[in-house]
Amino acid sequence: MKLKTTMHVNKITDEIWEIPASEKSGMLVPARIYATEEILQSMDQGVFDQVTNVACLPGIVRHALCMPDGHWGYGFPIGGVAAFDVRNGVISPGGVGYDVNCGMRLIRTDLTLADVQPRLERLMTELFRLVPAGVGAGGFVRLDRKAFDSVMRNGARWCIERGYGWHSDLSRIEEGGCIEAADPSKVTDHAVSRGINQLGTLGSGNHYLEVQVVSDERVFDRAAAEALGITGHEQIVVMVHCGSRGFGHQVASDYLRIFEKAMRRYGIAVKDQQLACAPFHSPEGQDYFAAMNCAANTAFANRQVITHQIREAFASVFGSSAEELGMDLVYDVAHNIAKVERYPEGELLVHRKGSTRAFGPGHPELPEVFRRTGQPVICGGSMETGSYLLVGTDRAVRDTFGSTMHGSGRTMSRAQAKKAIRGEQLQQQMKRQGILVKAVSMSGLAEEAGFAYKNISEVVETVDRAGITKKVAELRPIGNIKG
Amino acid sequence: MTLAHSFRYLDDIAVADMAFEAEGDSIEEVCRAATQALLESMANTTAVGSTWHRVIELQDEELPQLLFDWLSEIIYWKDAAGVVFHDASLTIMNKDGLWTLRGRLVGAPVDRQAQELRNDVKGITKHLYELCERDGKWTARVVLDV
Repeated sequence: MKLKTTMHVNKITDEIWEIPASEKSGMLVPARIYATEEILQSMDQGVFDQVTNVACLPGIVRHALCMPDGHWGYGFPIGGVAAFDVRNGVISPGGVGYDVNCGMRLIRTDLTLADVQPRLERLMTELFRLVPAGVGAGGFVRLDRKAFDSVMRNGARWCIERGYGWHSDLSRIEEGGCIEAADPSKVTDHAVSRGINQLGTLGSGNHYLEVQVVSDERVFDRAAAEALGITGHEQIVVMVHCGSRGFGHQVASDYLRIFEKAMRRYGIAVKDQQLACAPFHSPEGQDYFAAMNCAANTAFANRQVITHQIREAFASVFGSSAEELGMDLVYDVAHNIAKVERYPEGELLVHRKGSTRAFGPGHPELPEVFRRTGQPVICGGSMETGSYLLVGTDRAVRDTFGSTMHGSGRTMSRAQAKKAIRGEQLQQQMKRQGILVKAVSMSGLAEEAGFAYKNISEVVETVDRAGITKKVAELRPIGNIKG
Repeated sequence: MTLAHSFRYLDDIAVADMAFEAEGDSIEEVCRAATQALLESMANTTAVGSTWHRVIELQDEELPQLLFDWLSEIIYWKDAAGVVFHDASLTIMNKDGLWTLRGRLVGAPVDRQAQELRNDVKGITKHLYELCERDGKWTARVVLDV
């Protein structure tokens, strides 16, 4: 087997590989990568270097983990999971990601492909009009500082109180759409200025809004699907992928700078400057946690306002209210976040960066509505190949700190993708495949071509076979909005 | 004719993001090249108007940190003012070991009908970040988080 590393990588099972703690000076625990042999061979060297760097961080427990969609990131690999003992462990912005609470949201409908196909052009135009995307795009919600503080504290709850959504939405958002430990006084004015006009905007890069269809033959777990509102029968659903935008990035940047100085004071050395961290219970660690939670709540609010706009667009195009169209939320998950959770080792601060929480059936932290199915997990693929709905398992809670994959993961750089295809050419090609794309930037569109990503089905099969999430349904794109 | 500064985007440094290398005959020239690379990564600067401007002054004892802060400031104003940029001029001076950068950003509010928008750059990163001088030639390598 040819890997892009000289480190010893031992096979534990067909889907789990381990780099022993003896492979790198300073490793406190082994590193584990979830992958098939084929996926492991395709992983870039950065994954091996970075997951073993993470294994050196103070207070890390059990293993540093990387999911099968893993690829190089800043500090931690994307797809990285690491849990730290809250008593002596650290918190690291590099383990959360710059786009705090970047996440996925899935909205169901009672509509079918036959209902939507004749009006797809009009629907995508309306969605493109109502959901701002791309560079510097501002949202329609006007906020002053006091109101933005309330968004930072209350997340999606703030939106519901102002009519941007339904009360039933809240139980279908991770943490009920509001993380309690948020303190706006720990956020800089700079970060506030970047975020205050961005509520309800998609951004650019790999963020998107997608209209998708669920076919009968691509429903893998009928009981779980029905419990989550997925009927199959060419059902139309809508997926949103975005996060806390420039606001979250500024929070991360502000605290990276603080942590670089704090590390010297606490005598912490890291293998990579972007792993800058501080003891979780230090003043700096607690301040970042409070500010990060402000960004996380803002991201929940962002996706909630976008949901409101999606419902408005559908209501306008189909001449029925969103309630009549059955546009309930399936779920909203964070895939860039750090949270305190309880495991056999005690209270742990679990960092998930490009990784989704995946609690199994009966988990006490799940709301009643998901106690039987397990927590929904939404994984976005490339805009050409489709996405998946899965559910969490007890095995994930036992083996991976209740974590799984988040998407398909890039294999080709943005520059290479742009050399391979032009945005206009890709748009036409996708139209022939039955996918209508509206994009602010044609060069940005080319960067997101399907061939620049791993095959999501292979990635999903890996976590399914490893038992850390179970497939429920595949979601095939028919319309896409990109920044 | 040799240009006083230039830049090129790097293909394989950051798979999910963007990177560029800027060169110049002086510290000011390399900073101008890096600035131009950043502005072009967000929008075609020739199609952006000049109705918005902002004067910025930054100081630091270290030149790499000064350039990092300047580029970060450009990203900040992109979001805070909702603009993209036509041009940015700058001068750099040293007094008693303290470097001062004075810059002027010129641009216009985002208009997706009239402008050729590119990437919404979220931040400048320290990954492989470098600003150095070799044999009288200055080079900067910058990875952008998009």
